[in-house]
Amino acid sequence: MAASSALLDESFLRKLQVLSLAPRRPAYGQLRGMHRSRRTGSGLVFTDFRPYSAGDDIRRIDWSIYLRLDRLVLKLFEEEADVPIYLFLDASLSMDFGTPTKLEYARKAAAALAYVALLSHDRVSLVAFADGIVQALPTRRGKNQAPQAFRFLESIRASGQTSLHATLREFFGSPRTRGIAIVISDFLDPDGIEPAFAVLRRFRHEVAAVHVVAAEERDPPLPEEVVLIDAEDGTANELEVTPSLLEAYRETFARHVRDIEAYCRKYGWGYVQAATEVPIESLMLRVLREQGLLR
Amino acid sequence: MRFAALPTEFAVLLLAGVVAAVVLLYLLKPSPRRIPVSSTLIWRRVLRSRRRAPDRLRWWLSLLLAMLVALCVALALTRPRLGSSSTALHGLVLVLDNSVTLSARTSDGRTRWDHAVERARGLIRTGPAGARYLIADTQRQIGSPHFEEVDPALATLERLRVTLGGEPVFPQVVPRGDPDLRAVLITDGVARLEVPGGVESLPVFQVADNAGLTAFDVRAMPADPVRQQAYVEVFNASPGPREVEVSVTGAGHPPLTHRLRLAAGASAGELFDVSTFDAGPLRAAVSMAGDALSADDVAFSFAPGHRVRRVVLVTSGNSTLERSLRLLRRVQLTVVAPGRYADRAGVDAWVFDRYAPPQPPAAPSLLFRPSRVDWLPAAHSDTGETSVSAWVRGHPLTEGLSLQDVIVSNGRVVRDDSRFEVICADAQRRPLILASLHGPRRVDATFALEDSNLPQQAGFPVFLSNALEWLAGESRSVQARVGLIEVPVPAAKVLDLRGHTVPTRRLPGATLIDAWEPGFFTATAPDGRVRVAVSVLDPVATNINASRFAETPAAPALVSEPRWRVEVWTVLLLAAALLLVLEWWTFNRRLTV
Repeated sequence: MAASSALLDESFLRKLQVLSLAPRRPAYGQLRGMHRSRRTGSGLVFTDFRPYSAGDDIRRIDWSIYLRLDRLVLKLFEEEADVPIYLFLDASLSMDFGTPTKLEYARKAAAALAYVALLSHDRVSLVAFADGIVQALPTRRGKNQAPQAFRFLESIRASGQTSLHATLREFFGSPRTRGIAIVISDFLDPDGIEPAFAVLRRFRHEVAAVHVVAAEERDPPLPEEVVLIDAEDGTANELEVTPSLLEAYRETFARHVRDIEAYCRKYGWGYVQAATEVPIESLMLRVLREQGLLR
Repeated sequence: MRFAALPTEFAVLLLAGVVAAVVLLYLLKPSPRRIPVSSTLIWRRVLRSRRRAPDRLRWWLSLLLAMLVALCVALALTRPRLGSSSTALHGLVLVLDNSVTLSARTSDGRTRWDHAVERARGLIRTGPAGARYLIADTQRQIGSPHFEEVDPALATLERLRVTLGGEPVFPQVVPRGDPDLRAVLITDGVARLEVPGGVESLPVFQVADNAGLTAFDVRAMPADPVRQQAYVEVFNASPGPREVEVSVTGAGHPPLTHRLRLAAGASAGELFDVSTFDAGPLRAAVSMAGDALSADDVAFSFAPGHRVRRVVLVTSGNSTLERSLRLLRRVQLTVVAPGRYADRAGVDAWVFDRYAPPQPPAAPSLLFRPSRVDWLPAAHSDTGETSVSAWVRGHPLTEGLSLQDVIVSNGRVVRDDSRFEVICADAQRRPLILASLHGPRRVDATFALEDSNLPQQAGFPVFLSNALEWLAGESRSVQARVGLIEVPVPAAKVLDLRGHTVPTRRLPGATLIDAWEPGFFTATAPDGRVRVAVSVLDPVATNINASRFAETPAAPALVSEPRWRVEVWTVLLLAAALLLVLEWWTFNRRLTV
């Protein structure tokens, strides 16, 4: 049964049930899940043998080898574990922009990803951040936690400036199992992304950056003379918008996007540009799968 | 700087207002729309890479350009004039000599007058700021000279013209003892003007060739009064000997031409037999290569009729009258006694002495104390001794005549008769001479010649001549100089040679003609016709090189004003246009807001 919400309708949730996250590395989860892990145990995929030692589960003894070699040998199977999913949702004021707003779009993406993760019995942590952690949903596991996750996401309101670095430092200040950190943000961070992503690199998390971009940001429709007000810090910039200036803006914005993508690719991270004019179904069912974040 | 279109105070106020308006408009300029964006991070990066002047500086630059454009346009509207900033001199009196010699052409094809006006214009335009100008002329074309601003003064200047006639006089327009006043006379130095001290003279003199007519008259030949000759005098005012051609033209005969060679400064009188010309206007002309003054090249005169008038004197004996009549030109006199009088054809005029026929004669008549007849005003008593105390001065009978001292020892008192006009009367307003236009013309003297001293008056032959001419209906002629001409005919209609009506002014007993160039006019009134021949005929005017500047080696050359003069306001408008282009360019380059 799907847990429908204001964020995602039931038919979409049903479509999401066929998806699961695709970690690029073996899972380090402590609990049983649906992802390959380095631990051996009671999985289905044979990995190795080892001599029996007292206390081992006698159900895994390979009796055929015992009959042939008269030695007790245990069959080792790859244990399937869960993956901690850390979903960071940018809730700064800059996200409250565009039609639909980037925050709304990001909220839906986060809900969909969380739903997929919960279906896979992954432990999902939801963190709404601005210049720090604004709201956080403690780790949840299991499909039945989806409504709670959705409610959490719906409750998020845009506020404050963006500081991904401060957020990640704060969050990973406590011991966290290595997992997948999914950052859904516009990455309009005055401090840049590098200090923040350095935190993730240090803790060797697998990272996926979902870059939410509004169409109005890529190609801003501005009159000739305008005062631009920064939604986050309120600073004003008076401009005389000329075609050449617009062109320069478009180039700079594209470079900004390219730089983030290049950084992610450099470290083998996933990068997805989520344009708000692309339907969320399309993002989840096509774009993220094409990028290898989902399967 | 001064302003032609506005008083200085208003002009300054206008400029200040324009500046204030521009600043206000800039301050009131709607501020740009404030549009919130997710972040200005990218924009800040863009702007960092684009070097641009600070907005405040751009605003000031924009305001400065707009203010300059507005000021240029506003200043152009005030029509500013550049001049010395000196305020010491506040008035310039410009007296222009516009006598006839100023119309002489100079070597550049223009006239001395053109140069004089140019000089005056230059003085006005380059005058000091705030100065006022008084324009006056030596021919009194400007009735009431007064100080004016630049533009009205220039307009007054443009209205002035050379006057071909009239005596040039330096006008009394230069106040004495005003150190702030400069007085300048612009002249060619030919006219003898009494110039007050302290008046600067600006010469516009240049030596030029000229030959002109100085006399033109038509008169009967002494030997044969029936024949007429024209006397034409030509004067060569050129600096060297010249060949001239003198011609006389009129109706009824081909032009008569004489060629002459005249030494410098020489005059020659030429006689032309004009007996064969019809009675009417005659035109004399002189032509010479390179003649600088055309005004004196033509002259007009009138050839009176030269037909002999047949006059019959009916008298029982009056030798004085008979002799006087015989002495008149073109009079063929027949004397008959009253007893032998019989009216007949072939008589131009009858003269009745103390006699009047019972029936009026068919021809006009002059009567002295006629006997009592019905067709004359009835006489009822004698006047006794009396004298002429009043006479009609504009009448052809009294032209060139004074009846002031005429005494009548006895005459007849006649009743008023509406058919007759009283020509002269005594102190009691009793008519002494009457004239009638009803039917054949009559002149009726109520006294006999023996009863008055009229025959002893110098004007008696003139009276007889006037009477016979008037009776014959012959036109009178007047020779006049160019200018205002008083024709002794009241309320006359005046036509020129082409038949165009000439503007006139009415005077009591006369008509005033504005004749500012040589010509021939006919003044017509109910009681007569007067031919007016108008010419320059002035040796002083013809002698265009008799300048007091002639021998001045330092006489300044005639400097002509540039044909195309750049006015300040046009420069200002041009500057405004250029500034607009600059503003457009800087705006598009984002150097201004």
